[in-house]
Amino acid sequence: MARYLARRLATSLVVVIGISIVVFLLLNAMSGAPGRSVLGPSASPEAVDAFNHKEGFDRPVVVQYLSYVQGLVQGDLGRSYKLNQDVGELLAQNAGRSAMLSLAALLLALAVAVPLGIYQARRRNRRSDSAITAATFMLYASPQFFLAVVAIEIFSVQLQLLPAQASQSRSAFVIFTDPRAMLLPILTLAAANIAIFARYQRSAALDQLGQDYIKVARAKGVSERKIVRSHLLRNSSLPLITLVGVSVPALLAGNLVIESVFNYPGLGLLFINSLAREDYPVLLAYTLIGGVLTVLGNLIGDLLVAIVDPRIELS
Amino acid sequence: MSAAADLGTVSATRVLDVRDLTVAIEAHGRRLQPVSGVSLHISAGETLGLVGESGSGKSMTGAAIMGMLPPGGTITGGSVTLGGRDLRSLSETDYRQVRGNDIAMVFQDSLTSLNPTRTIGYQIAEPVRIHRGASRKEAWERAAEVLSLVGIPRPAERLGDYPHQLSGGMRQRVMIAMALACEPKVIIADEPTTALDVTMQAQVLTLLDGLKERLGMAMILITHDMGVIAGRADRVNVMYAGRIAEAADTEDLFAAMRHPYTHDLLASIPLLDQDRSARLYSISGLPPDLSERSAGCPYASRCRRVSDACTALAPELIEHMPGHAFACWHPMPPQSSPVLVARRQANDSRHEETVEDATPPRLAVSGLVKEYDVRRGWFGASARLSAVAGVSFEIAPGQTYGLVGESGCGKSTLGRTIIGLERPTAGEIRLDGLDLEPLKGGEGRRRRRPIQMMFQDPYASLDPRLRVAAIIREPLRLAGDADRSAQDARVRDLLDAVGLPTSVLERLPHELSGGQRQRVGLARALAVHPSVLVADEPVSALDVSVRSQVLNLMKDLQADLGLTSLVISHDLAVVKYLADRIGVMYLGKLVEEGAGEDIYQAAAHPYTAGLIAAIPEPVPDVERAKPAAAVTGELPSAIDPPSGCRFRTRCPLADDICAVREPELIDLGAGHKVACHFPLRVG
Repeated sequence: MARYLARRLATSLVVVIGISIVVFLLLNAMSGAPGRSVLGPSASPEAVDAFNHKEGFDRPVVVQYLSYVQGLVQGDLGRSYKLNQDVGELLAQNAGRSAMLSLAALLLALAVAVPLGIYQARRRNRRSDSAITAATFMLYASPQFFLAVVAIEIFSVQLQLLPAQASQSRSAFVIFTDPRAMLLPILTLAAANIAIFARYQRSAALDQLGQDYIKVARAKGVSERKIVRSHLLRNSSLPLITLVGVSVPALLAGNLVIESVFNYPGLGLLFINSLAREDYPVLLAYTLIGGVLTVLGNLIGDLLVAIVDPRIELS
Repeated sequence: MSAAADLGTVSATRVLDVRDLTVAIEAHGRRLQPVSGVSLHISAGETLGLVGESGSGKSMTGAAIMGMLPPGGTITGGSVTLGGRDLRSLSETDYRQVRGNDIAMVFQDSLTSLNPTRTIGYQIAEPVRIHRGASRKEAWERAAEVLSLVGIPRPAERLGDYPHQLSGGMRQRVMIAMALACEPKVIIADEPTTALDVTMQAQVLTLLDGLKERLGMAMILITHDMGVIAGRADRVNVMYAGRIAEAADTEDLFAAMRHPYTHDLLASIPLLDQDRSARLYSISGLPPDLSERSAGCPYASRCRRVSDACTALAPELIEHMPGHAFACWHPMPPQSSPVLVARRQANDSRHEETVEDATPPRLAVSGLVKEYDVRRGWFGASARLSAVAGVSFEIAPGQTYGLVGESGCGKSTLGRTIIGLERPTAGEIRLDGLDLEPLKGGEGRRRRRPIQMMFQDPYASLDPRLRVAAIIREPLRLAGDADRSAQDARVRDLLDAVGLPTSVLERLPHELSGGQRQRVGLARALAVHPSVLVADEPVSALDVSVRSQVLNLMKDLQADLGLTSLVISHDLAVVKYLADRIGVMYLGKLVEEGAGEDIYQAAAHPYTAGLIAAIPEPVPDVERAKPAAAVTGELPSAIDPPSGCRFRTRCPLADDICAVREPELIDLGAGHKVACHFPLRVG
């Protein structure tokens, strides 16, 4: 187990290094020397050159990359010139809120999709199954910003039940005490995932329902409810666990949309704003963190599958 | 009402009584009637054999008794009474109290019969907790108890194991333990040993038998295998097309069967002492479609004794003699089993020595080794799996060589290596003296073209989206040495040769029956005029009545075309019927080789002898006289095979030398070779 983990972490590190190179090169190609954009159009060329020289942007790309990595190793993610703030600090301020939004949406999606998929599988090809499939596919097919706007129109503007803007508080405590403000963002972020997860869960459960051990359980006199709980659930959720592991990028992308629609100050909103400000160090750090999270998500998914499925040995 | 329901003992001792059971299934807008008016009963301590081919309704009858019909299935008539209690009137909740408690079921072992993510302890304890209201701990203790009952050593330690950690034989024991946990009155065993090798089958059947006696249970043994029935059942019900064709005491049935179907079924089974020169008895046609209701006898279209009466009205199951009922207008005269007749004939025609000629072999395999690298876990250390470990044999032109052995012995790997699907790790394969091995790419494929393969599973080995014409034409197209019209002509010739009508040309594989698909597979293999045919389990997936048709066809074609064949099978009777010479494989090694009669009558290797003894024969006297289990234990892993003789871990004769030195294949005379330090016969 320890050896397996070490190996997986080592390969993950290689992947992350690869991501960092690609992202760094891409941003470098786009922005090159950012002196002009930082100092503005009125700055003299000499000032721009001086800035670029001072910050090291006139050095060869390889050297710039290596010094960036050197910073990374020491926990330095660079500096946002636009906000005149440390990037690491900036991310830390916003990461908690994004994590809360994503986690809540993920858990909600799972809590809805798993029972839904199993229900569908047990009523395969009946009317209720088809109706749920149609409904979840409509959710899946609608772009998230559209869903969010429709939700705001209905629940905030028309019914005036829920606020149109997410909680602006920086304290997790305040956010928890006023859950109404978070309801719409979480629901819309969960919506698309519910469709995918339910689809997966349905087909995995169908697969398992056809296995002989279900028939054997019935022959032992196990009730249908108990068959679902003690036999079907665990076996049919294996594919979903892997899927959740690899759905980190989709969650992050969802955050971009949802956070900007609901004006929720998380990483996604920071990214959108930094994009508009051409604040490259922030973009670079965010993309890198996305890569790390994706790799980690995969690893955690695989570990979870191994824990749930005794047939898989991590050695 | 049918008199059969009143057969035998008085109803007071009957545990289970099924009368006029009729089952209908509604699926895809079609209504099938898989079970029609079946009556059966069973008393404590008794074993009732329910025998029939696929689609005969035997498993559906078991499912109906359990109240576990598939979706769309309903019992439309009759009664199921357990100890005086009418099961049909029970609610689903009450029926659950019966399942696993009063009636338990043992299913065919497959990897999926046990929940892969639950320990076997949990799965065995589950019915105890449900039906006995036992606590977790009590149920766990009971699980250990029944696990020791089914002969698993150190049961308490095994309870925490997961199914994938057990071998096939162990899993089947766990299945039986699960069924026994609540000491049911009736146990329904549905093909309990079909997925197991014969040596394991013998062990499991003996176990089931002993437990039934000890616990005083009544057992319904559902199987397609007449040999298993002969050895284990007290009474037999033969089913055909959802009805009981004949019901009798086992000895009575085999000694004096009356229904033509029972006779034909038994006559079609290739026997170990089958006369090779005689054609196998075969039943023409296919079982009827269960969606079509006809007034007549369901067997009429295939029966040799058919008359107008048969197609006009179905005969009822009537008890013509005490304890012997059959449903037939023209019963056969009471005659002894065709098996016994065949035996006698074979005895007379024995000892025809085939003279070994000195012609060079068509196919020569020498020192063939095939090893695989396997990883344990995802990133585990790799190990060598020794699938074939130095096998040599030759096949003379026009001869058939049979390779026999249990699953995991490497026989299929050997076949795949010979046709070039696998590259050997070492050794040579020579076709007409030419070493095929160094040849790669187009040249290799061209040189190997004379070797063609017929596969086991006729469904999986035909492309489901290609029509029959395209399937058979494919090898011709690849060979590329004929124009389209010549190819079409060849396809028609081939269809004719394998006995298929040209109307199948435009059909897709799923529109054909199993026997027809296997004929297509044979036609495809023959398309490019091969000189060597490799047939891997050619009839294992087929029902008995269809199997004999295909075996006859293969034998005819071999003779007509002068084919040299390699037949690979786990079924010694099939191999012996088709092959001139037989090689017995065990764990990658050839342990014995010789003429079929020599192998069967004078087996020199303890493994061969045990294998032959384990094969159930459809003769009650022979079966009952057999010792409990000839070969015990299980096949060791090929990753770390035993040192010296690979069979020594299961051999009753093993001595110190067997662990140290590997026995060589030595000739006992007349081409009968054995690799054993203590052969059962010398010279």
